[in-house]
Amino acid sequence: MALSNRKRRQLSLGIQAAVFVIAVAVLTVIIDWGAVQQSFFNLEPVAPMFPGVITTGLVNTIQYTFFGFLFGLLAGTLLALMRLASFPVYRWIATAYIEFFRGIPAILVFIALGFGASLAFGLNLSTLQTAATALAIVGSAYIAETIRAGLQAVPAGQVEAARALGMPAWRAMVSIQIPQAFRIVLPPLTNEAILLTKDSSLIYVVGMAGAAAELTKMGRDGITMYQAGMTPLVVAGFCYLIITVPLSLLARRLEARGPAKASRKKKVKA
Amino acid sequence: MSDEQAAGVVIEDLHKSFGDNEVLKGISMRVDPGEVVCLIGASGSGKSTLLRCVNRLEDPDAGRITVGQFEATDPDVNLDAMRRRIGMVFQQFNLFPHLSVLENCTLTPRRVLKQSASEAEEEALRQLDQVGLKDLADRRPAQLSGGQQQRVAIARALTMKPQLMLFDEPTSALDPETVGDVLTSMRSLAEAGMTMIVVTHEMGFAREVADRVVFMDQGVVVEEGPAQEVIGDPQQPRTQDFLRRVLNPLAE
Repeated sequence: MALSNRKRRQLSLGIQAAVFVIAVAVLTVIIDWGAVQQSFFNLEPVAPMFPGVITTGLVNTIQYTFFGFLFGLLAGTLLALMRLASFPVYRWIATAYIEFFRGIPAILVFIALGFGASLAFGLNLSTLQTAATALAIVGSAYIAETIRAGLQAVPAGQVEAARALGMPAWRAMVSIQIPQAFRIVLPPLTNEAILLTKDSSLIYVVGMAGAAAELTKMGRDGITMYQAGMTPLVVAGFCYLIITVPLSLLARRLEARGPAKASRKKKVKA
Repeated sequence: MSDEQAAGVVIEDLHKSFGDNEVLKGISMRVDPGEVVCLIGASGSGKSTLLRCVNRLEDPDAGRITVGQFEATDPDVNLDAMRRRIGMVFQQFNLFPHLSVLENCTLTPRRVLKQSASEAEEEALRQLDQVGLKDLADRRPAQLSGGQQQRVAIARALTMKPQLMLFDEPTSALDPETVGDVLTSMRSLAEAGMTMIVVTHEMGFAREVADRVVFMDQGVVVEEGPAQEVIGDPQQPRTQDFLRRVLNPLAE
């Protein structure tokens, strides 16, 4: 069949629109919208959830995530430097740590820390301490890889130029490599903050007092408290978006800005 | 150049391999203080590797290099102290993109030589003035043309008051119309008495500015001598062949 490209494009659009209309029609018929609304969008328990879901839930989620990310960033930077160290034992330790904690579900870390810290170390951790530590342990493994990739993305010529000027290795790292790597890793680090925000919900498995409740806990408690379906969970979900959507927009802006250009030309020496 | 002494370079029987590929097969040469030597030869002849061994960006496998009072190949040499006396200009400029032109020139004097901000800036502006770019001190490298970036790189190296300058194909990545400004800056540096080793394909510059020209091929020095003689009247067949192809690319 010899259709022109223009005709083919029109046909393709037409098919997509038709599939969409059919899908909407089918969903309208087979789904009991009344039940859906009753279960997920029942406005009755929404008002009583405020302001607690914000002043306690959102605030706690932000707090757990913030400290988890902060310590994760510090530990991740250290791990990244260890992975690039000339002393091989540091490299092995960092690689083992990163592979281990990237390879296991984060929820295991929360459980181990929430129930094991007192048994193993005699530590009585608060909810904030447990959540922040667990997020830092898991987050640092991912952050370390991001930072290592960022450091290695700085062109080798930059460090060579610094060393050729007579800068010691550490000075080249501090003044030349890290500032340039920082710009490269900002977007992926922002994405990591989004992931940690969502992972902070895992503290739910450990349990916590009402004042320490974060969004997921408040959502689930709302289900029991109001006996009005899943709506409190939906409210909690939208509260996560208050954190994650701005972060995601920020990441996109940082990505669009891009790292500082090393030079106008991209000729590579043979 | 100020009161700093120019340093001489002595290279003896230098060997360097990358894996199975022997890039330098016993190079010996000397560069007297204040002398300008151009290294010429085809790509892969080992010129750049030789240059990079002088400030130990590459570690030679065997042989000896001395730069002024520094024993460059001594395993215990203070590399940072030695490199502060050796300026290097790269093909890709390698300016620091996150710093302004002025900061590129003041960072190392301030952080490494512990100069005060005003002292470092004064010297940086003096060197930028020398290469004609004082007015661009506040720009970022990305806002400059390739030729301007390369002249900033020269000024940056000179703020460390080097006794020897190494140039690794400084004009090979430039738009043709900006090559002249860079070569002019290099010529005035040569006239001021700086010791210079220049890896280059600019035969005109080599002929006019270099005291001596060294032709390398496949890891050995094939021919060396006064610039006029090596370029104007080469004796070795390999040199003749190379120069014929460089000076007259359309022949054959």
